[in-house]
Amino acid sequence: MSKNLTALAARKGKGLTNNLFERIAHLAEENGTPNPEALRQIADEFLVGNANVYGTTTFYDFTKPDHQGKKVYVCNGSACMLAGTQTAVREALMQHFQPEAIGEMCCLGRCHENGAFHFNGQNYSALPAEGIGSILDGAAEAAGTDAYRVAALGTPVLTAPFPTLKDCREVIINMLRETPAVLLQSIRESGLRGRGGAGFPMAFKLEACRKAEGSPKFIVCNADEGDPGAFSDRYLMEQQPLAVLLGMLIAGYAAGAERGVIYIRAEYPESINIIQEAIGELTEAGLNGAHLLGSDFSFHFKLIKAQGAYICGEETALLQSIEGKRPEVRVRPPYPAQEGLFGKPTVVNNVETLANLYYIIANGGAAFAQIGTQRSSGTKLLSLDSAFNRPGLYEVDMGTPLAQVVETLGGGFRRPVKALHIGGPLGGLVPVHKIPDLTIDFESFAENGFLLGHASIIGIPEEYPMVQYLEHLFAFTAHESCGKCFPCRIGSVRGQELLHKAQHESYQIDTTLFNDLVETLAKGSLCALGGGIPLPVRNAMLYFKAELSPYFKE
Amino acid sequence: MIATIHKKEPQITTKVAYINGKAYEMRAGETILAFLKRHLGEKYVPTLCDAPNLEPFGACRVCSVDIARQGNGGLKTVASCHTPMEEGLFIYPDSESVLKLRRNIIELVLTDHPLDCLTCEVNGNCELQDVAAQVGIRKVRYPEGKNHLDREKDLSHPYMTSDLSKCIMCYRCVRACDEVQGQLVLSVANRGFDSVIIKGMDESFFDSDCVSCGACAQACPTSAISDIYQSKSVVAQKEVRTVCTYCGVGCNLDVKVTGDQVLSIQAPYDAEVNAGHTCLKGRYAFAFYKHPDRLRAPLIKRNGIFETATWDEAYDYIVNKLDTIRRENGPDFIAGISSARCTNEENYLMQKFIRAVIGTNNIDGCARVCHSPTAIGMQRTFGTGAATNSIADLQYTDCMLVIGANPTAAHPVTGAKIKQKAMKGTTLIVLDPRTTEIAKYADHHLQLRPGTNVAVLNMMLYYIMQEGLEAKAFIETRTEGYDDFKKNILQLNIAELEAVSGVPREQVRAAAIAYAKAKAAMSFHGLGVTEHYQGTYTVMLIADLAMITGNVGRPGCGVNPLRGQNNVQGMADMGVQPYQGAGYMDVTNPDIVQKYANFYRRPVSDKVGYTIPEMYDSALAGKLKAMWIIGEDVVQSDPNSQKVIKALEALDFLVVQELFMTETSKYADVVLPGASFLEKEGTFTNGERRIQRVNKVVEPIGDAKPDGQILVEIMNRFGYPQRPYTAKGILEEIADIVPFFAGVRWDELGTQGKQWPVTPDGRDTKILHQDSFKRGKGRFVFRDFIETPELDAYHEQYPFILTTNRVLEHYNSGTMTRRTHNVDIITEDILLINPVDAREQGIEEGQMVRLVSPRGEVQSKARLTDEVKPGVLSTTFHFPELLVNNLTSDTHDTEANCPEYKVVAVRLEKV
Repeated sequence: MSKNLTALAARKGKGLTNNLFERIAHLAEENGTPNPEALRQIADEFLVGNANVYGTTTFYDFTKPDHQGKKVYVCNGSACMLAGTQTAVREALMQHFQPEAIGEMCCLGRCHENGAFHFNGQNYSALPAEGIGSILDGAAEAAGTDAYRVAALGTPVLTAPFPTLKDCREVIINMLRETPAVLLQSIRESGLRGRGGAGFPMAFKLEACRKAEGSPKFIVCNADEGDPGAFSDRYLMEQQPLAVLLGMLIAGYAAGAERGVIYIRAEYPESINIIQEAIGELTEAGLNGAHLLGSDFSFHFKLIKAQGAYICGEETALLQSIEGKRPEVRVRPPYPAQEGLFGKPTVVNNVETLANLYYIIANGGAAFAQIGTQRSSGTKLLSLDSAFNRPGLYEVDMGTPLAQVVETLGGGFRRPVKALHIGGPLGGLVPVHKIPDLTIDFESFAENGFLLGHASIIGIPEEYPMVQYLEHLFAFTAHESCGKCFPCRIGSVRGQELLHKAQHESYQIDTTLFNDLVETLAKGSLCALGGGIPLPVRNAMLYFKAELSPYFKE
Repeated sequence: MIATIHKKEPQITTKVAYINGKAYEMRAGETILAFLKRHLGEKYVPTLCDAPNLEPFGACRVCSVDIARQGNGGLKTVASCHTPMEEGLFIYPDSESVLKLRRNIIELVLTDHPLDCLTCEVNGNCELQDVAAQVGIRKVRYPEGKNHLDREKDLSHPYMTSDLSKCIMCYRCVRACDEVQGQLVLSVANRGFDSVIIKGMDESFFDSDCVSCGACAQACPTSAISDIYQSKSVVAQKEVRTVCTYCGVGCNLDVKVTGDQVLSIQAPYDAEVNAGHTCLKGRYAFAFYKHPDRLRAPLIKRNGIFETATWDEAYDYIVNKLDTIRRENGPDFIAGISSARCTNEENYLMQKFIRAVIGTNNIDGCARVCHSPTAIGMQRTFGTGAATNSIADLQYTDCMLVIGANPTAAHPVTGAKIKQKAMKGTTLIVLDPRTTEIAKYADHHLQLRPGTNVAVLNMMLYYIMQEGLEAKAFIETRTEGYDDFKKNILQLNIAELEAVSGVPREQVRAAAIAYAKAKAAMSFHGLGVTEHYQGTYTVMLIADLAMITGNVGRPGCGVNPLRGQNNVQGMADMGVQPYQGAGYMDVTNPDIVQKYANFYRRPVSDKVGYTIPEMYDSALAGKLKAMWIIGEDVVQSDPNSQKVIKALEALDFLVVQELFMTETSKYADVVLPGASFLEKEGTFTNGERRIQRVNKVVEPIGDAKPDGQILVEIMNRFGYPQRPYTAKGILEEIADIVPFFAGVRWDELGTQGKQWPVTPDGRDTKILHQDSFKRGKGRFVFRDFIETPELDAYHEQYPFILTTNRVLEHYNSGTMTRRTHNVDIITEDILLINPVDAREQGIEEGQMVRLVSPRGEVQSKARLTDEVKPGVLSTTFHFPELLVNNLTSDTHDTEANCPEYKVVAVRLEKV
């Protein structure tokens, strides 16, 4: 990572106030990609190279030169793909647009009902062709249907009705009366672990940031929920925005950070609008700005809209993105808690993790620790896609059996399913016969060779060829690879090519070669993208050996 | 090569870690890769994206190793380049699994790499080839897939080339451009497999903002980025370490040679001065050495025409002429100008020739027209006229003050280091009439009117006192004259200084506070300080600033003149000035006179000789009959060219030692062909007092001889028994007379050189004035601002101020750089003019304009830019076609007689 670019982006108070990434993104708004002269001017203003701003521009789906002229976007996420709805959507769109005006987005988080597309700053899903037509004609304004079931099985921590801002204020005032050390202790007691996938203890990061030298410090909320199939962050942002924002504020108090950045993916326009409104409400309530509620604690919120790059869900890439750099994964150490955003101590947490904090300060860390299992405390949000009879967003106590989720909450499958893909594209492929072995917690999944991850659950239909699904996973990785590390940059493409060739030519993949490739990705990759794809691939090779064997030779 | 060259020296501990179960000593803060390299050798662990002068990056993953926190613990594979060492760590750098991983990664790389090694430029010197061999690739098992083998070469640039079909995306070029040069010309476009290296906004090298430093080419492990010299090709008979001939940074160069042919130049990673970096002059602008224009034999002018002569003929002719003049007019009718481009040994011999053989102190050098005010100003305040600190001190500084210097153009490697610090947030204050490249990165750019340095520095001193930011203890114990100084400063009329300099007082105040509050503040200055009517006083005020804030004698501070020529420091050290002999000893002091006379075994004059401007005046007045000039094109580079020409024409006899026929040598009676830096040995002393070895790379062209050899031969012809020219021998002689060279020995200089003073036992000195000043106490000197006579006399009729400067691509009068491909990058001198002025005068971009000064006129192409403020014009003097010194004036620094190139009253007219 370039220390120079990091420093230049924050030079003379620019940082978040005059944000390089936002400036570049803004230039792309009109025509889909910035015009070169305007980009040069920005480079001069920020004292960075033309190559840097151009390099950034070309990285993102929604700013790159190819994006010019795109008007409408079809969701190509796993759930919509498996549901088989997108051919019809595309055909409907073709009635109104030239093919070059139709882009793709991955994914819009409408996994519960599919048929998702994005038009004119809004997402739509599950519409019949005529419905799509009337929206494109401007006749209908309906924001799709987007109705999904929300329920809790156990203690509703995140899905319970959130208190009014007035009540929240009291709780915050009480928190500010105590020292950050008291708060940290409470978070430590809660045993809260990161919900973004890694399950890292939250208190540890907050404390490391608090102890690190440098100012200002940052809380970054990773709301770049890019995993196809996941929409729990979207749920929180759209239906529990205060929980998310106050979680950031609480984390800020604990970590000694006075800036809070929420980085939300552009594929969630509704989330962006709702969070922006909620920040406004916090401002009015005296909970955004200097000296909150007359205390010594200042906390300033900033919303940044992403521009289409799955890799930004990786925390260091996300920081690079906010700095206006190419979101290429950084090496660690230094960890963000030491040198994060603009080189300053930073805690990056997922939306769901942060959303738990309000409950902890309102009810105490011990109360939170009572929920769930000993090592995985609290609850977990699960998003179930349209393969279930009752798709939706569910909250369960950690430790709840997966079978109970499938049957009681999901109501079983709508059609025959052979495997569940849990935890996003890099999560494990759980064959249906393994469902009884699993409970919803980090340990159970890890011990069984899977990954809880973000706990999105996609059903893979019985008839969907596993080899094709694996090609889809490699294609996804290849499309989203930042390109920095050799294994992921080249290996993801080669993996896709092998699987494609095996399906479409008289070619069988050398199993040793394939295993070598998967091992190279697993051991060699810099981050969890290249390093993560081997998990579902190996699960498939293990549990669907028979189905896959025609495509392989020993 | 050491992996941690740029990083702070790791602390040595007795902790251990285990390689394959065996204990080895580890150092705190090192990476696993550095640890393995130290114990197993540089190449034991293969890498592709790691480079000695770059931060760990973690892209290639080829350096992966297995680690365990316990001897029998679970293994984890990590990239060793960015994983820190831990005490007691178990490392398995060549486990089966790791070897396989490396092989598999390289196999993937080869699926997108042309397999044309045998015809590749870097065949035999390709890191990918080496690593592929090391990991044992026998076969690429993947079927043919997507690739980038059809990418086109970029051959747009006079030096830089790229063939991105060979690129492995290790980012070393991008990182070198960023972390080493700081230019940010290179980046990557697209993502994933489509990622590709770009220059600018996906332009060609030539169209991009590339400054051709070549850091990317040197960093590239394959031939994806290279240069026209195929610098990484292995076909060379030998490689010789030497020192660059251009600026005072003193970059070390590794020159590859076959026979008498220089193939290419690279920057050694282990050089303290330039650690793997240099600029396009050092790396690429060497072709002049075998240019057809090189003088290959002595020339004697007969009837106005130069005729080739033998050395014997030339020597006889010279001895006869000089002897006659000396006999008839006396030795003071002869003068010499030595050269800052020549070695210490040659400069020593030249001044010795003039002093001990001819018998006069009429010896001067080009420092007169550049840093003579620095030498005098710092001698008067500190006692030593040289940089107090080392460039490496930048790592310790909190504040950089750059006054009248454009280091990214004139001292590119130091400029890059300053810029690197500024980019990362170290406070930078720039005093310059122009928005130079580093001024853009400054926290405080005080864009003063040319000629008002004294006004602004006095304001800074005023505010430091007013804010009570003086370093009282330092002033008390280490300095003298402060009370009077303070009284004078506090009586200044700030409003007047503000008006005259054009810099708002609040800006000056903020800068003064930043400088004074820094824990360690380091100043750098260039010719924008010295080449003024008040040049010496400006230097003294810079010294005052350092003293009042206690910024002397510690790491990361001091007063650091950026010396323009490779050996301008050494030239002065060797006694090339009319008032001080070798080692800066006063030639009028009877004891010193005796000392020199005894040492040279000849009587020497006790009368101060002529400075260069006085030489011209004396020649015009008939008081000087003969001159001997080495390696200096005074007609093009000294001010008021027409006057210089008249002076040279007034001489009876002029000898010029040169590489090329120059504007000056045209007026010579005898021209002697000198050897270039590649063709001789000796030492150069860089701007931080570092005496470094210049090693001969090739034999002199034609009949050319090293200037030192010419001088020895002529001294012998005059009957003076001078020992033959060898660097070792002459250096021994110098060590016997120059006190601060006492411990300098040719064989002991090594590859890094030594910084003077060097004690008799060979220890050198990084920082001067640590416990006391050379002169005892530092002396505060006050001087109020005085308007230059140039503007007093001419400003009304000539309302614009022209200031001269340099561009990166050319060096001074361009004698050398114009005979390289640099001329394909910058082809002419251009006049910079503010768009407001241009509009008023009806001048458009690229239009020819006429500049008229009281001395003459020139025509130049105009470039509209806000780099200069309205009322100020700026141009360079690299091309004889412009000969901008037809405009420059006779105004000189009052103390050192340095010409005021930086303020010329001119009128601007459309052509």
